Amino acid sequence: MKIVVLVKQVPDSGAERNLRADDNSVDRASANNVINEMDEYAIEEALRLQEAHGGEVTVLTMGPDRATESIRKALSMGPDGAVHVLDDALPGTDYLGTSRVLAAAIGTLSPDLVICGAEATDARGQVMAHMLAERLGFAALTGARKLTVEGAQLTVERQTEEGYEVVTAATPAVVSVWDTINEPRYPSFKGIMAAKKKPVDTKSLADLGVSADQVGWGGSATTVLSHSKRPARSAGVKVTDSGEGGVALVDYLSSEKFV
Amino acid sequence: MDFSLSDEERAIRDTARAFIRKEVVPLEAELLRRERAHQPGLRRDELRELQARARAFGFWGLATPAEYGGMDLPAVLQSLVWTEIGHTLVPFRFGGEADNILFYADAAQREEFLVPTIEGQRISCFAITEPGAGSDAANIKLSARRDGDDWVLNGEKTFITNGNDADFAIVVAVTDRDKGVRGGGTTAFLVDRAMGWRSEFIATMGEGGPASLVFEDVRVPHRNILGEVGQGFELGMKWIGKGRYIIPSHAVGIGERALRMAVDYAGTRETFGKKIGENQAIQWMLADAETELEAARWLILRAAWTVDQGLDARHASSMAKLYGAAMINKLVDRVMQIHGGMGYTRELPIERWYRQVRLLRIYEGTDEMQRLIIARDLLRGYTKIGGHLA
Repeated sequence: MKIVVLVKQVPDSGAERNLRADDNSVDRASANNVINEMDEYAIEEALRLQEAHGGEVTVLTMGPDRATESIRKALSMGPDGAVHVLDDALPGTDYLGTSRVLAAAIGTLSPDLVICGAEATDARGQVMAHMLAERLGFAALTGARKLTVEGAQLTVERQTEEGYEVVTAATPAVVSVWDTINEPRYPSFKGIMAAKKKPVDTKSLADLGVSADQVGWGGSATTVLSHSKRPARSAGVKVTDSGEGGVALVDYLSSEKFV
Repeated sequence: MDFSLSDEERAIRDTARAFIRKEVVPLEAELLRRERAHQPGLRRDELRELQARARAFGFWGLATPAEYGGMDLPAVLQSLVWTEIGHTLVPFRFGGEADNILFYADAAQREEFLVPTIEGQRISCFAITEPGAGSDAANIKLSARRDGDDWVLNGEKTFITNGNDADFAIVVAVTDRDKGVRGGGTTAFLVDRAMGWRSEFIATMGEGGPASLVFEDVRVPHRNILGEVGQGFELGMKWIGKGRYIIPSHAVGIGERALRMAVDYAGTRETFGKKIGENQAIQWMLADAETELEAARWLILRAAWTVDQGLDARHASSMAKLYGAAMINKLVDRVMQIHGGMGYTRELPIERWYRQVRLLRIYEGTDEMQRLIIARDLLRGYTKIGGHLA
């Protein structure tokens, strides 16, 4: 089974993150950039499938030069190689443009399965899997908490607010996963030492047959017009207990739909 | 001059960091609870279980050669990993380690002592210090007298780390008093506890403690000599040299975590209507703490780098140990001061660090011993002012 795993480098969600004042884009220069956490679950799932069914796992990243760090980190977990889409025209590309580029790159790899995180912690759009499936003509199995493969048949437990749905499809497919699907492995010492020897194929937009005016600030269908900081947390509600404290608490929790 | 980490160094550091954060730090609350109840903080089986989990992804034997299944990391990387370990209060260490001098063992001794120690099946302790001979190891009194195929050991060792748990000891004993300690008069023996030595726990201001080891006519077969007859002092110095950049590396990790706590606290704790971090008195403490932490970091990494270059690291390691130990004591003191009354309570780990780090100025060569080494090297012209760049 040939599997492509999408890996995105994002600012560390555990630290302070900012949007740039000039173009409203994510400030990546000042951030500590790491692998999008959900992508580690995607890598783990791909590696488990490879261990069970054979085949190869390729990491696909679109991002600037320094995304190499995240690619090496991903490779140290065990994938066989990576494709890095790197082009000066890419900054500013929105979801649609990104899906165009990634679909073109996936097209050159002809995988049976594309696995990605259900969302990236920077933009949190949760749309990439659907867009890619549409562009590639693949089935879209999104928001998985469990994935089983029998031959070309995929079965996914799709996580919902209330529980889960069981959905099936045949390969080729795009599967997006939540962090409930597995426990990602640590990069092994051997894996770390081997990662630098693994092939990373750098591709430009020209290599993929995507023209520069379809991406970047100019080629995007959407534009972020402005942004503002989240308002400071309000003081909250103080309940003074004069015998009715318990009831007041429950009333409050129920009004906020916690209970 | 490049002060950055390579991709591999960063990846190994980050993996150690992730493991400590996800698997070890969550045990801290239970650790503190047990210690408050005067129980061992981390049981041996729990430590071994953590070590086995890390071994599963190859983090095993930081300093151990690959032929014994270890990572055989360069000293710089060992230092970086020990800094990560310092981020947790839990007395964790990666498994697969053995005293560096055990690698001088012969083939039979390797099977009997070295390999089981690496595998965690046996626990060693290294015994050179005596009641009348600390860093002045030349005054060692514990004697070994040849008797047929055996040696008979008599005397006492003290302040022996792991001495209570060890099932064998690496004991440096006087075998030829006329030759003197430095002249080849001492020898290292591998002595099973079953051969008859006993240990006595020494309570300390920290959690846990070392032991005194008592030898009364303990018979040790000649084949249990580590290295050569007369090599005891030389091996002892090799053992001691190793810790001098590892100990402060660990301290840097403690310092990073403690300082982070202080920065967070200064940014949230309010008195007199403003955050205490707005007060210059607090700011200066933070600034000095970070400056000294950073200075210690580079002294230590330079010492480790010196080891990796195959150069004599004694001088650099002494400076790293001296400064690193002083730094962490001042840093933890400042962090406690910034936390005020809260810092003194057992709700927070600061008082525990305060007790723990005091030892760093004493063991494995006191501050004064490090200064002695540094000054002697300078006065003898053995090292140049300006270090390796001079």
